[in-house]
Order: sequence, then structure tokens, then C-alpha cells
Amino acid sequence: MKPVRVDRRRAVAALAALATTSMLPAAAGADETCNSPYLASLIKGQEDYVHVWTLGVKSIGDGSDKLVTVDVNPSSKRYGKVVHTLSVGGRGEAHHMGFTDDRRYLWAGRLDDNKIFIFDVGTNPAKPKLVRTITDLASRSGFVGPHTFYAMPGRMLVQALSNTRDHGGVTGMVAYNNKGDFIAKYPMPTGTLNNVAADGYGYDIGINPQKNVLLTSSFTGWNNYMMDMGKLIKDAEAMKHFGTTMVLWDLKAMKPTQVFSVPGSPLEIRWSLREGDNWAITATALTSKLWLVKQDAAGAWQAKEVATIGDPAQIPLPVDISIGADGRTLWVNTFMDGKTRLFDLGNPEAPKQVYEKVTGKQVNMVSQSWDGKRVYITTSLLANWDKKGGDDEQFLKLFHWDGHELKEQWAIDFYKEKLGRAHHMKFTARPQKVALAGAIGDATPH
Amino acid sequence: MPRRIDSRLIRRACAGLLVCLAARGEAQELPRAPHADFVPPPAGSYELPVIDKAPNGRVLDSDGRRWLFSRFTRGRVTLVSFIYTYCVDPVGCPLAYETMARLRELLLARPELARATRFVSLSFDPVNDTPDAMRAYGGKFADPASPLQWFFLTTRSVEDLAPLTAGFGQDVAVQVDDTGRPMRLYNHMLKVFLTDARGRIREIYSPVFLVPEMMLNDIETLVLEQHAD
Repeated sequence: MKPVRVDRRRAVAALAALATTSMLPAAAGADETCNSPYLASLIKGQEDYVHVWTLGVKSIGDGSDKLVTVDVNPSSKRYGKVVHTLSVGGRGEAHHMGFTDDRRYLWAGRLDDNKIFIFDVGTNPAKPKLVRTITDLASRSGFVGPHTFYAMPGRMLVQALSNTRDHGGVTGMVAYNNKGDFIAKYPMPTGTLNNVAADGYGYDIGINPQKNVLLTSSFTGWNNYMMDMGKLIKDAEAMKHFGTTMVLWDLKAMKPTQVFSVPGSPLEIRWSLREGDNWAITATALTSKLWLVKQDAAGAWQAKEVATIGDPAQIPLPVDISIGADGRTLWVNTFMDGKTRLFDLGNPEAPKQVYEKVTGKQVNMVSQSWDGKRVYITTSLLANWDKKGGDDEQFLKLFHWDGHELKEQWAIDFYKEKLGRAHHMKFTARPQKVALAGAIGDATPH
Repeated sequence: MPRRIDSRLIRRACAGLLVCLAARGEAQELPRAPHADFVPPPAGSYELPVIDKAPNGRVLDSDGRRWLFSRFTRGRVTLVSFIYTYCVDPVGCPLAYETMARLRELLLARPELARATRFVSLSFDPVNDTPDAMRAYGGKFADPASPLQWFFLTTRSVEDLAPLTAGFGQDVAVQVDDTGRPMRLYNHMLKVFLTDARGRIREIYSPVFLVPEMMLNDIETLVLEQHAD
């Protein structure tokens, strides 16, 4: 059969009709190694913008939570400068963000008032636009504290931290379609599963599609994350209410299949992206350990402690982690001592710390470029958990990593710039010379 | 059999892709076809929640007749894929086509399930993908005597296509020249949509989840649900 020839002039005419003023970002992503496997392409070159989900602070600037956009392309005249801010109104404990699968929209949540903001970052990433605010999380699911936003095809899986009934740690996941409409809820398991007590808590989501597994971790409820940290650590009863489990789910069925006992509140989950690897790693906040979740030779999933982070007696408080694209290194930020540590994961069963540097008086998020050469760091953990007085630094810093040393390139003082507390980061790239048929393929949130 | 793809078009498309990647100074690898290292859960042992309702609009069949799209998303469990006939992205239309062809074989081995199922390949290039082109593209897969219906549809215009792609959330990118003028279809994010017999979207497959055995179980899950209603 003869192949069909394409009439170039007709194609141009058709595509001209398809193309709109909307432009496709070359790729959008953030901490490229921790993105959902369902996202479109990754940025493997130079990112152009870092978006920082920023907590408003009373009497600083407009006092509102805001999305702050920073130009991070060294060839730009505005390199290292804030180029855009978008205030969303009020203060609701801004926390984490996540891209939709088409990477055109960025969802950002607030842990206190449960609002989820959907920003258009595909049309012009230099000037994100707020296109929808979701307010029905609590009423539709009974869960509160939207934390993790994990893209799935045509929809977003949201991990909550708490519930409307008692504001404790028992919670669940919620699925929305890309338009922002509620689809379903999935309670975290309670009771006993495979002879392990399930606490019902939640925190992060990590999916390995090749294995059809979804892994979740566990933190604490609204009662604790909204409490002043000084008060919290003196409250013995409150300190009992932190997560002690991870859960393995059948992804297709969205059913829990196995519970692991992981004491000390396991937080961020990172699957190794190296082909053939079958493991994920996490850090426990309260016990300062690295834990590995891995399939054994018989195919059974096991969780085990594999390393210590700093001196647990000093409570360094590991927070964010960032895994290298080759699955061989892991950055770990410890909030209390302000250190950024690098672990060698050459043997994931026995990670070894190979480097550390004090990068701030308090540090929380750490995001690296795909090539690992650029490492971005921010500071805020939770409004009521951040340090006080002069130790309450709030910044975005860029470091270059040459394999031996983190070298600071620039810092933006979020208080001096009257922005607020710098929390989660996401990267985007300028539109390429590729137009998107936005009017055709745009499932614009409404 | 599906028609062969003009090798000159392949070279041109690949060259365009490489130019785009080189422009970003990136050494990107093309995504690979999915590798599934698991046994899918049995059909009927899980639920597929309603993600959205499938959109409606006007389409042309391969004989050039104009129909409401809902004619092709009601009454049977339906797998909808957006394609264009000269796509060469290895994780784009060819992957969808290959996956659906493998799934077709699995379904034909179970005729009752095949008769409850429909495939739809809908072009998002109404200019080049005429009804004749779609018929040629579909080849024997479009055989009306087959228990498994497979329709190869296009639209009369961009205006007819727009509500369908928008409603499904199917994006498509266009390559432009230095002056910003569109040159040719460049890429799209592959998604395959599974709708139930009531025209509701129940699953969306991206390249990492185009696993025929799992898709078969999803189809059977919806058929079982339909019988239980």
C-alpha cells in the first residue's frame, strides 16, 4: 500500500489554525528526579525559572501566600532575580506543589484552609496565572491538609495529612481530574495488615509503574503541624501522634497490600530511576534514619533501616531529600542544624555520607537539576515550626555542585524582598519555538 | 495491516525532533515503551472511578459520513486514541497502534468480550487525514465483520475537532519555524482513553501504562460492571 503523502501547504494551513498564542514549555519539572513518572518530558538541560510557593507573613509585604517566580537562567539579564509574584490572598499554610501530567498546570496546596490553587505555568512560565481554586477537599473527602500533588494520566492524586473529624493523623488520598473535579477518595489503611498495625497516616506518594505499586509515608495531623514547635516537643501526648508506617498499594486497584513498620515519621519518598532498580528510599524525621523499601530476591517487598543521618540524639530533623538521576546519590537537608548532606547510594543497602555543608540557619527543601550540577535550597518547614528571631532565615539559594563542593551562586532574602517564608520549589522552562494547540487540547481547569 | 510509513517523512520528523532537542542543548533520550513487571489484578476485583464524561462533537467516518461522536462512545466499552496517520514518534501514535493491535488479538480470543468492546482511532489532523486516508490507515482492522469494531475517524475541520480534544484533555504540539509560523505536527502527549458504555471516561493510559493485559482486565471490569447494573 502506498504511503500517504503530506501536502505541506495544507499541513501548514491546518496547523496554523491549530496553533494559538499559547506556547508549550520545552518541559516543565522540578527537582527533576522526583517527578511523577506520568509527567511529559523532563528538563535535562538548563531550567529557566524556579517557582517558590511562599507563605505569607503578617506585616511583611502584602502578608499573603504567593507564588514567587525567579529567573534562574544564567544567560538572562534577570538571572537570580524575582521576576513575578502572584498573591493568592490570605495565609493558609502554603506547603507543596505538583505539575499535572501535561506539565501545563501547577497545583499548590495549603495545609490549614485546604485550598488548592491551580496555576497556568504553560502559557507563560515567567508570569503564572491562577486559573482555579479548589475548595471542596474537606467536604468531599473528610480529609484535610492537601500535601502531595502527584500527577497521573489526566488526573491528580492528592495525599492529605489529616481529617475533619478530629484533626488527627488518620487521613487518605483524593483523586481529582485535571479540570479540578473530584473523582474519588482512598482512605489510608487502619487496623492490621500483614500482621503490622496500620496507623492510617499519610504524607508523601511515590509510584513505580513498572511494578504497579504506589508507596506512601506518614507524618502527623493538623493538631500537630499547626502547633508551635516549642510547645509541641514539650507535649508528650502530642508527640505520640506521628506516623510510624509506610504502605505499599496495588496501584491499579488502589488498594493497600502491605504495611511496613517505619518508626519516626517517614517523609519524602524517592524511587531510584536507574533502570532495573527496584527500590525507594525515605528519611525519618524524628529518628534521623534512612530507610530502604526494596524487593527481595523472592519478589517480596521489605523495608529496613539502612543509615543514620547526623546524630539522632541532637534531633537534626531530616526533612527534604533529593535523589540523583542515576540513583547513586542522595541530598538530605536537616532542618535544625541547617546542613545539606550528600549520601553515596552506590550500595542502597548501606548508604554512606560523603559530604556536608551548613547552607543556612534552617533549611528545608532541596531540589537538584537533572544533571545534578545545580542544587536549590529553601528554608521554611511550617509557619509555626520555623525558628524564631535571627535564626528565622528565609531564602532561596542556588549552589553549584562540582562533585566535591557546594558553591553558593546567589541568594534571595525572602524577608528583605518582602515576600514571606520560602517553601516548595518547582522548575519550568521558557517556551520553545513550539506552539501548542491550546484551544484544541486544553483541558483548562474551570 | 497498517500502512507503511514513508521513510522520507520519518527522516524529516526525526530531523525536526533533533533540531528541537539540539536547540535546548540537551541530550534527551526518547522515552521507551513500557516495561511491566507485575501481574495485573484480576478483572472485577477493583473499581475504575469515573474521571469525566466523554465529550461530544461531529466526526467523519472513513466513508465520509458525518456522525455525532457519541455514536462511538455509547453502548460498548470503548478505547479512544487520538492519532495522526504520519506520526513517527516511537512513544506516540505507533505505540498506541501497536498496543491496540495486541489488545485486539487478546480480545478476539474472547469473542464475547470483543463484541462488548469498540476501538476508535480519531485523527487530530483534519486536513491531511481525510476519510480516505483513515480508511487506508485502518486497513483490515476496520473490517466491519470483526466482532471487535474498530473505527478510524476524522473531522471536517478544526472547529469540529476542538471540543473533542479539549473535552478529553488531549494536547497536541506544533513545530514552528524561526518566524513563529507552524510547520508540521511535532508531538503530542500520548493518551488512550477508556470509556464505559455510558460514555464516561474510566481510565487514561499514558505510555508507561499501555500494558495490553492490564487494559484487557480494565475492559472486562467495565463489562462485568455493565452486566451487574
